[in-house]
Parts: sequence; C-alpha cells; structure tokens
Amino acid sequence: MGAELIPAVDPLPIPGPEWLFHLLLVFTFFLHALFMNLTLGGTLIAAFAQVVSGGKGDDYRAVLAGRLMAVNSIGISLTITTGIAPLLFVQVLYQQYFYTATILIAPVWMLFLLMLMVGYYAAYLYKFKGTPAKGSGGTGWLLVAAAMFFLIAMVHVAVHLIHSQPEKWTAIAANPWAILGDPSYWPRLFHFVLAGLGFSGLVVAWWAARQAGKGEAVELNTRIARYGWRWALWTTVIQVADGFLLLFVLPRSVLIGLMKGGAATMVPLTLAIVLALGLLMMLSRVTNPVEKMGAVTGTLGTMVLIIAIMSITRHQVRVLYLEPVSSGFELATAPQWGNFILFALLLVAALWVVYAMVKKVLTSPASGEDAA
Amino acid sequence: MDYPIWDLAMGGGVLMGLVAVTHVIVSHFAIGGGLVIAVTETLAVKKNDREMRELAKRSSLMLILVSTIFGAISGVGIWVVAGLISPFAISALIRNYVWAWAIEWVFFIVEVVAALVYYATWDKISKQAHVMVAWVYFIAAYLSLVVINGIVSFMLTPGEWLTTHAFWDGFFNPTYFPSLVLRTGIVMLMATAFMVWPALKAGAEARPRLMRYLGWWMFAGVLVSYAGYRWWEAALPETIRALFLGDSPALAALADTRHFLLWAITLVLVMTVIFLLVKPKATRAIPALLLMLAAFGFFAGYERLREGSRKPFLIHDYMFSNGVRVDQIAKLREEGFLSTARWAAAAATEPGVVTGRQVFRAQCASCHTLGGYLAITDLLPADPDMIYSVVYTLYDQAEAYTALAPGEPVDKAALDYPFMPPLVGTEEEMEALVEYLATLVVPDETVARKGGI
Repeated sequence: MGAELIPAVDPLPIPGPEWLFHLLLVFTFFLHALFMNLTLGGTLIAAFAQVVSGGKGDDYRAVLAGRLMAVNSIGISLTITTGIAPLLFVQVLYQQYFYTATILIAPVWMLFLLMLMVGYYAAYLYKFKGTPAKGSGGTGWLLVAAAMFFLIAMVHVAVHLIHSQPEKWTAIAANPWAILGDPSYWPRLFHFVLAGLGFSGLVVAWWAARQAGKGEAVELNTRIARYGWRWALWTTVIQVADGFLLLFVLPRSVLIGLMKGGAATMVPLTLAIVLALGLLMMLSRVTNPVEKMGAVTGTLGTMVLIIAIMSITRHQVRVLYLEPVSSGFELATAPQWGNFILFALLLVAALWVVYAMVKKVLTSPASGEDAA
Repeated sequence: MDYPIWDLAMGGGVLMGLVAVTHVIVSHFAIGGGLVIAVTETLAVKKNDREMRELAKRSSLMLILVSTIFGAISGVGIWVVAGLISPFAISALIRNYVWAWAIEWVFFIVEVVAALVYYATWDKISKQAHVMVAWVYFIAAYLSLVVINGIVSFMLTPGEWLTTHAFWDGFFNPTYFPSLVLRTGIVMLMATAFMVWPALKAGAEARPRLMRYLGWWMFAGVLVSYAGYRWWEAALPETIRALFLGDSPALAALADTRHFLLWAITLVLVMTVIFLLVKPKATRAIPALLLMLAAFGFFAGYERLREGSRKPFLIHDYMFSNGVRVDQIAKLREEGFLSTARWAAAAATEPGVVTGRQVFRAQCASCHTLGGYLAITDLLPADPDMIYSVVYTLYDQAEAYTALAPGEPVDKAALDYPFMPPLVGTEEEMEALVEYLATLVVPDETVARKGGI
C-alpha cells in the first residue's frame, strides 16, 4: 500500500555516490541542529523567563532573556544558513518522498516560510524594543517569536513523518491533520523541543559561569548559570523518558530494523543512550555551575556529542522507515568528483576566511582617531 | 506530474512569480549594496568623509534587515514553492547542479557571517578592519551570483548540455556571460535605488553631494545593464529571439514586454540624470520612489521576458512546464499519460469525465486554474465542439517535438500554440479530456464545478 503512489525517480543520475550525500546530509543536519536548538529552545526559555520576571528589567531572568535573544539575532540567521544544506541534500536523496510530503501539506509548508519571517522579525523587534534596560515592551514580540519557532518545529516533524511513510499518503491526502495522530508525532516533536531547551539551558549556564568566573557581575551570573542549569537538568530528565517512549512507539519494523542493524545502528543508538544517562548524572551532580567550570564545559561537550550521534540515528531511522519501498533500489550515479572537490576546497577556504575575519575583527579594537 | 497536485486557486505560477520577484529584487540589492557600501566606506575612510560614512552605516542596517532575513528566507522560498508546483523541474536541476548549489551555500555562509559582523562592529573596530569586512561580504555575495547565474541561464539556454548532459556545458551556456554582465548592472541599479533612501536622511548640505555620488553609480548601472541586455538578446538562439524580435514577432505580448523594459531603463537614465546628477538638491521622496519603481520595472520586465521566452519549457528543449520531458512524448502517446501520472491515475476511477479531469489536473493545471489566473473557463471556446479541435491541435503539436533529432531546438514560432506544451497521452485520454473540458463550458455550470479541479 502506498508504493504505487511514489513518484518515479528523476532519470538524471545523482552527481556523486549515494554514501557521500548521506554523509553530507547527516553532517550538515547536525550543524543545523546546533543552531536550531538554540533558536527554538533559547527563544522558548527566553519567553518563559521574560514572562516570569514580571517585566522587571533588573530581574536576572529578564537579563537572561535579553542575552539569549541577543545571541539569537545571529543564531536565527545561522539556523537558516545551516538549514539550506540539509534541505539541498535531502532533495538529492529523497526527492520522490520529500516533495510528495510537502505537497500533501502544501499550505502549512508554505506557511512555515511566513512563520519564519514573522518569528525572525519579532525576535529583532524584541531586541530593539524589549531588552531589559528599556523595559518590558518586547514581551509580546518574544512570545510571538517563541510561538512561531514552535509551530515551525511542528511543521518539520510533520513533513518528516509523512515523507518517510508512503503507506500513509492516501490517508494524509484525505486529511492532512491525521499526521498529528501518528503515534510517534508528539514524542518526536518533544524530543526536538526538549533537546533545544536542554542545549540552550547548558549554553546559558556555560556562558554565565564563565562570566562569573572572570569576576563579572558574579551574583547575577551565578543566578543565571544555576537557572540555565536547572533547565538543562529537568528537560534532560524528561528527555530520557521521552526518548524511550519514542523508541517504543516507532513502527515495529523500524524498531526491529534498529535492533537487527548490528553495530551500524546499535552502536550509535546505545552510545547516545549511555551518554544521555551520563549527561543526566553530570547535570545532577552540579548545583552551582560557577564553581565547577570544568564539569560545565564537559557537560556541554557531551551534549554536543549526543546531538551529533542522534543525528546519525535519526537518519538511520528514516532509512528503516523507507526500507520496505526502497529496498533493492539504487539511484543511478554519475559522480562529478571535480565539482565535489571544488566544493570541499571552497568550504575549507570559506571557513578559513570566516575564521581570519573574526580573528582580525577581535584583534582590531577601535582606538581614538582610528575608531571606525 | 507524477506527484500529487496542489490545488492553489491563485495558480502556482502566480505564487512563484510573487516569491521570485521579491527575492530577486532583494538578493540583487544584497549584492549591489555590498559593492556600493564597500566602495563608499573605503572612500569615506580615505577622505575622512563623515557623511559618506554615515551613508554606508545607515545602508548597512537595511542590508542586514532586508537581505540576510528576507533575502535568505525568500531564497529558501523559491525552493519551497518550486518543490510544491514543479517538483520534477527542481529535482532535475538539483541532480545536475547540486554541487553548484552547495558551492553557492559556501559563499552564502561567508556572506551572512560577514554581514552580521559588519553591522555589529560599526565604531567598535578599526576602520581598516571594518572596510575589510565589507569587501569580504561583497566578494562572497558576488560569487554567489556567479554560481546561481549558471543555473538560471541554463534553464533558458541549456546549449550543449542537451546532448552531453555535462555539468560545465550547461553551466557556461550560451547566455551565461551576457546574463552575468546584465545582472552585474542590475545589482548596481538595485543598490542605488535602495540607497537613495538613507541618503535622503543626510543633512541638507551633504545630501546633494551624496545624491550625485549615487547618481554616478546608477548611471554606470544603466550602461552595464543595457550592454548586458543587448548582448543577452544577441546570444539567444534564433528560435527564441524570433518570439519577440524582428519585424513580426511571434508573440506580441513578449514584444510588448521588451518595449516596456527598454522604456523603463531609458526612464531610469533620464531620471538619474535629472534627479541625481543635475538637480540633486530638489530630490525628495517622490523622485526617489519613481526612480526605484522604474529600476524595478526594468528588472521585472527582463525577468518576465526571460521566463516568457522560455515557455512552454521549464528547462528549454528538455522539460515542459507541466513536467513532461521531450524524450517522454513518444512513450506517453503509446502507453498513456496516466501510466506515469500516478496520483492522477489513482483518482481516475472511471473513464470519461472523471479521467478527463485527472488528465487536466496533471497535465494542464500547472498553468491553468479553473477560475483564477489563466482560467481555463475563460480560454476555452464557447462552442463545445470547438474544444475537440483545440485539444487535437495541441495533441498533434507533439509531432513537432518527436521529429527532432536529440538536442535540436524546436521552432517555436512555427507552432500554433508556441506558449503551450503539446498534449500527450493516448487517444482515449484525449477524448476524456475533451469530455471534461466540455463540462466546463456547458451552460449548467454545476456539472463543471462538481468537486472543483
């Protein structure tokens, strides 16, 4: 069921071996996930903190909200920029599934662009209007931004689940909202949202602990660090439970596929689970992050590692979902190695330019007459 | 056509037009703005010119708010819309040019980071370092144009690619360099059209000087654009040029578009000379607005001409606007259109009108709506018997394509309906289509509206 509706694959070959595109898709998705976590989780935490601060600009939570959104005015841009690459590579590998999924919920998929624009501009309006020093005028904008990013997450989870389950296409075509009733929809959505909250909480704690360690506004930064840390701890507690729930609501074939996949699937999954439990222990053992900067950095590093590994597992789950309709099927390839090498070299050069530029900027302070 | 069809009342083409036009205007401004701002700040630092520096600074806020946000999102928007209305075309392009897009993405990373750094570091770092960031931004932005221009121009003139399917044959296609020159001119026009606004905010003393300075940019932009445009026209294959050029152009509407864009650029030139170069003191919001509209008009006119002269193809001589490929025609005539249009086939549960409606949705609805843009109800002959003749003329038009040798261009001007793809499928499918279309023109419209399209 469903297979007869899968559009024919484009007759033109893909310009590289499949594994290369799988690799690029996973790697660029991981980069995207880092910034996306900060955008989604950071904005949600900021909105919550801003509201509970009661609009008092000197409340540490309002300061935290201002900080998070100052970072996010750049973070959102980088989320979009890093999101372009996985969007490109998914189209190379999964065009027939991906386009069909987006067409089936076309109005919502279009709306995602609008929500992104509204969310982004709302974040800027908050930054210009509502930073703590200037009062709480921006709370509304911050809530708008948070709502938009949450809705965007909902749209993406929907597209992902539709594209990976062609057997549900007929039902979705009749009623697109049916995807919200997919057993894995909500656990999956919250898996992403909780990751965003946990990661952003850790970033906040890490940054504030560092500032406090340098002796800057020690009391304020300590409070912010502890606040961020609590977000990371409690969302990770729920995350572990949600992760297991998500695992068990996966279709049986996918779950069995994961188990039977041998080292290729079991090593990443097991490693991620073990690391997540380790993360939980690390989080629960620290009460004042400022005093344990080493542990804080280690915890943040572990979190990044887990996100990287889960990016692999997420991709493997998609492959397993599609296994019944794609097994024994190979994409025609006609590698353009020269172009790939050009891309790789330019990527390295570009990262060097970015590094050199930022370094130059950081070491060229304005001074007197010379001030730019 | 293998894909499900999104029933969009306004028509997919209109949506794409809206997203694409706003994106190209903003993205060309993002590139040109980079150039003009970098030069302006460099000159300001060299001459210690405070007003010039202010102009660059004020423009840079616009650059970041408009370009990095709206430009980036609307750019993704083009992919999103293309994936919804022409998934077959975007996937064909991606299979050819994924590395080009990946490379463009690399430049885009540098562009975005440089824009963010540039805006955030005004007055915070040394002037030299700040100017350097501006140049990094512009170079990265321009290189992204160098890349994307290969893909956009390929769609109109794929050239040797049609026979070789080789990346570089399609990339450096016959209109690549003319388009690049034209777009280089356009980026200057867009940058100046936007930057006149922050310049208006300068003090009364400095304003005329800044206007005149921008006037020279606009003047140069007009010259480069015009040269690029003429070169582009000359580089087009004769079969395309004949559509809108010569004593009796095949498509009057396209010839009108060409006249429009030439008048628009003339207007830009005249207004530049008057408002910016000769009488800059008197220039206020209304002249600035008129100048901006004329520049947009030229650019939009060119884009429309380019898109229009590509019809009925999405990738010229390779894929039609409804996703049917030239190399598929013979097979589809034999095995039936619904043999590949899977979603339509699944819905074609009965012969006759029901099947005809699905053929229409999968083969015609990428351009024609029921009651909106290019509404089929307005275009069909009033006499149902005439529909048969229209359908079969379009059906026979397929033979003009099947007779071609691989890579040989079709003489569009010689076709009865040069704008339209041929109808493909079996005779039964054509009969069904005629039956369905007839229900759209019979007086009792309830038959036609049943279930919409």
